[in-house]
Amino acid sequence: MAYPFQLGFQDASSPIMEELLHFHDHTLMIVFLISSLVLYIISLMLTTKLTHTSTMDAQEVETIWTILPAIILIMIALPSLRILYMMDEINNPSLTVKTMGHQWYWSYEYTDYEDLSFDSYMIPTSDLNPGDLRLLEVDNRVVLPMELPIRMLISSEDVLHSWAVPSLGLKTDAIPGRLNQATLISTRPGLFYGQCSEICGSNHSFMPIVLEMVPLKHFENWSLSMI
Amino acid sequence: MAATLEPSEPGKGKPVKLLGILDVENIPCAWDSVLYGSLGSAVAGLGHFLFTSRIRRSCDVEVGGFILVTLGCWFHCRYNYAKQRIQERIAREGIKNKILYESTHFDRERKQTNSSGSN
Repeated sequence: MAYPFQLGFQDASSPIMEELLHFHDHTLMIVFLISSLVLYIISLMLTTKLTHTSTMDAQEVETIWTILPAIILIMIALPSLRILYMMDEINNPSLTVKTMGHQWYWSYEYTDYEDLSFDSYMIPTSDLNPGDLRLLEVDNRVVLPMELPIRMLISSEDVLHSWAVPSLGLKTDAIPGRLNQATLISTRPGLFYGQCSEICGSNHSFMPIVLEMVPLKHFENWSLSMI
Repeated sequence: MAATLEPSEPGKGKPVKLLGILDVENIPCAWDSVLYGSLGSAVAGLGHFLFTSRIRRSCDVEVGGFILVTLGCWFHCRYNYAKQRIQERIAREGIKNKILYESTHFDRERKQTNSSGSN
């Protein structure tokens, strides 16, 4: 989950999110250098006494400031496309879970073997236990096995929602009448929090997502207990 | 779970961000790249000034040198860091598989021992 006043990404818990973090570092360094250059040029312009009011052509500088940004954009685009295609790799999911967005809660269905479905409502602030996270805890968490690829099928029963878990690098729109697919894999056990990421009404901020990634044995025991 | 968390590791305070955006403490290779870039830019700018005595042009060379050296160090360091991560992942997978497959049909050491014993 995020800590107070956090600006950066949460720690990565999936391989895709690790790649995204590194891509972000790469792009941020380029942005930092461009910003430094622009800052320097502005300071030069503010401190010069020279003026030139009759510029007719500037072929050399125009060539540079056309080709250089193109090169920079290619340097940013190639790693970006690599990650984009990596997200769509075929990975043979071991489990399929359907999640439906409602106003204002999520429902989950595990229908691979038996019919298991439940709703996941936010726990109101007045009902929280000491140490619980305000506006993030839910009554029924989504328990999933760790280190296994899981197919998430995401849709909605009413308006647009978005199923997002930042630490796993997931954000997929829940669109009524459409089935979107996301692949989820966690490298660690633990609790991973997310929130609805598409405006969906008055309680849009109050329909969180909590994934509980556990070893496979624990997941099997949990699913048996839920049936 | 703790209700309050530090922005970075406990006791270290807020992370240092150059120009307000680049977190040099937590981004791998960032601090080294900026340091080498600063050193390279200082050397290039000073050297240009010593040879030409032109202040403004030396400042331009310094900024250009900073950008080029920082970028060069950055890509070199990130390339090595990516290779290291891949090697770490291979080693981690190997250790996990060794523990998992020990004394089973998939155990490579058992296959090698059997083949050397039969020879």
